[in-house]
Amino acid sequence: MNVTSNVDRLLTQVLAGEVWPPLADRNAYRIDPDGQAFFLPGMGGVTLDVHVGDPATGYAGDHVEPGLSVRHREPGANYALQYLSCIGNRVEVTSGRAKGAAGFVIGQHAYVLVDMDREDMGQVTVGDEVRVFAVGQGLVLDRHPEVVVKNCSPALLTALAGGTTPTGRLEVHVSAVVPPEAIGAGAGMASEYANTDLMGAYAGMGADLSLGLESLRVGDVVALSDQDHRFGRGYREGWTTIGVISTASCSLYGHGPGPSSIMSGPASAFAVIVDDSANLSSFNLGQQRERT
Amino acid sequence: MSEAKVVTVNLLGHVDQGEVGDEPYRVDRDGRPYVAVGDGGTVLGLRLGESVFAHFGDHAAPGVCLVHPSPEAGHALVGLACLGNRVTVRTGDAVGHAGTVLGKRGGGSRVIAVFPQDVLARLRPGDQVAVASCGQGAAAPVPGLSQMNIAPAALPLLGLTARGDHVDVGVRAMLPSRFVGNGIGRPMAMWDVDLQVDAGAEATRSLRLGDLVVISDLDARTNAGYRRDWMSVGVVVHGASPQPGHGPGVTIVLSGPAKCFSVRVEPDNHLGLSEERLLGVAGESRGDV
Repeated sequence: MNVTSNVDRLLTQVLAGEVWPPLADRNAYRIDPDGQAFFLPGMGGVTLDVHVGDPATGYAGDHVEPGLSVRHREPGANYALQYLSCIGNRVEVTSGRAKGAAGFVIGQHAYVLVDMDREDMGQVTVGDEVRVFAVGQGLVLDRHPEVVVKNCSPALLTALAGGTTPTGRLEVHVSAVVPPEAIGAGAGMASEYANTDLMGAYAGMGADLSLGLESLRVGDVVALSDQDHRFGRGYREGWTTIGVISTASCSLYGHGPGPSSIMSGPASAFAVIVDDSANLSSFNLGQQRERT
Repeated sequence: MSEAKVVTVNLLGHVDQGEVGDEPYRVDRDGRPYVAVGDGGTVLGLRLGESVFAHFGDHAAPGVCLVHPSPEAGHALVGLACLGNRVTVRTGDAVGHAGTVLGKRGGGSRVIAVFPQDVLARLRPGDQVAVASCGQGAAAPVPGLSQMNIAPAALPLLGLTARGDHVDVGVRAMLPSRFVGNGIGRPMAMWDVDLQVDAGAEATRSLRLGDLVVISDLDARTNAGYRRDWMSVGVVVHGASPQPGHGPGVTIVLSGPAKCFSVRVEPDNHLGLSEERLLGVAGESRGDV
């Protein structure tokens, strides 16, 4: 992205986490939009064969978290990990059979989600430890004071298409524009934590549920209309939030594939360009090192 | 429509203290810090019929919030308590006095109950109350609709009239589903939905505590979610919030296809739930606790 920023002032913190197990409860079932009970895999563990660039819908899963689902077992340390990890941050596996393997953060979902090569990922399991080179919070775009940036690593900022336009707007390329009717669970929560589930992406279900979002991909950069996520997630007419899809299929009603928020400001501060290549898979984030 | 009898279960609740957090400040949607007042606990001087924007508060409810120290028992309390249920104080200075459930709040599993002001003033956080819970599982007034969170005896208070295959309902406002914030995607038997509106929003400028509202394109039969041509009707149970994604709360009582509703929007002359009528209905409900 062609912008000037304070990237040289940002600090990198090395944070620890571990792959967290999937959790179930004794009642097993949850409820889909049509009232049907289901029991499906999704959150936690190491979810194989769902990478950036892959479809975000169509899995027999619920809250599918691509790759590694990472957290810290101490609550305070976990909030540090969840709030400070940014999309594009380098992650290294520090224990287990995949020790030394590297990947990158694709977003948050009450876990930090990490993508890496399929071959390495297949060697990782629950309990394996990682370190995250967390850098990005505090990022400011010099010429766009109305736009609040968060959860965005310097590597992601560099890789994004667009930048400051001659008229002073911030050009951002997105693969989809999401209407405010799609905003599901996550509304009202902190925008440095977890993500915003999108409804209207229940592939294969009724037309009355659809908001045309069935073709979203993991890693898509998207624009959320009428959303202000500067200090939490809320509806606000005339505001725009840019996010990156970090989770895939949901069967639970009111939930769905979700973007982690990276930029928020008045709609007039942005020039949004719809561009099918606006996806983390185009950015070679796995190849980049964060000031290490 | 089910003909099964609705079950009444006596539950125990504790008068809530309210929460602030380990730092005094919360952050509003423009990044300004504020101290939250009235988020749970017993709130005096806030009455049904008042504007949701009239007071400096954060999710402030007109009366007392009831909780249970055990999370699972708290889920049962909030899940089973219904609008119109009788609440009887069992310990403390207000022992023996009665109030009525107004609605519920998610997250912290809080039941909101209305009492006369002089009784509220004699409550102390930790006092125990009995809730004669009854209403979940009750059949809706017309086929195709789902009813929840309201005692059958309290239904007439809402001015709903069944006419053949639909329900006539008068509401303060008909709101689009995009206004729904916190609570979306959560089970409506245990949560309310916050409306992301402020005092400047035209459709909700005159919104009052106790008002009925309709939310269009919202299916609230289980979790709340977007569904075209659907409607959900609820009661405004708490006031506004400066937090982004939060606002006045609505406890849902009916949800179904839009064709099952005949809605009259009454922006100026809507009469919502009154304290007098709500307190009156508890006396008629079952349960002798």
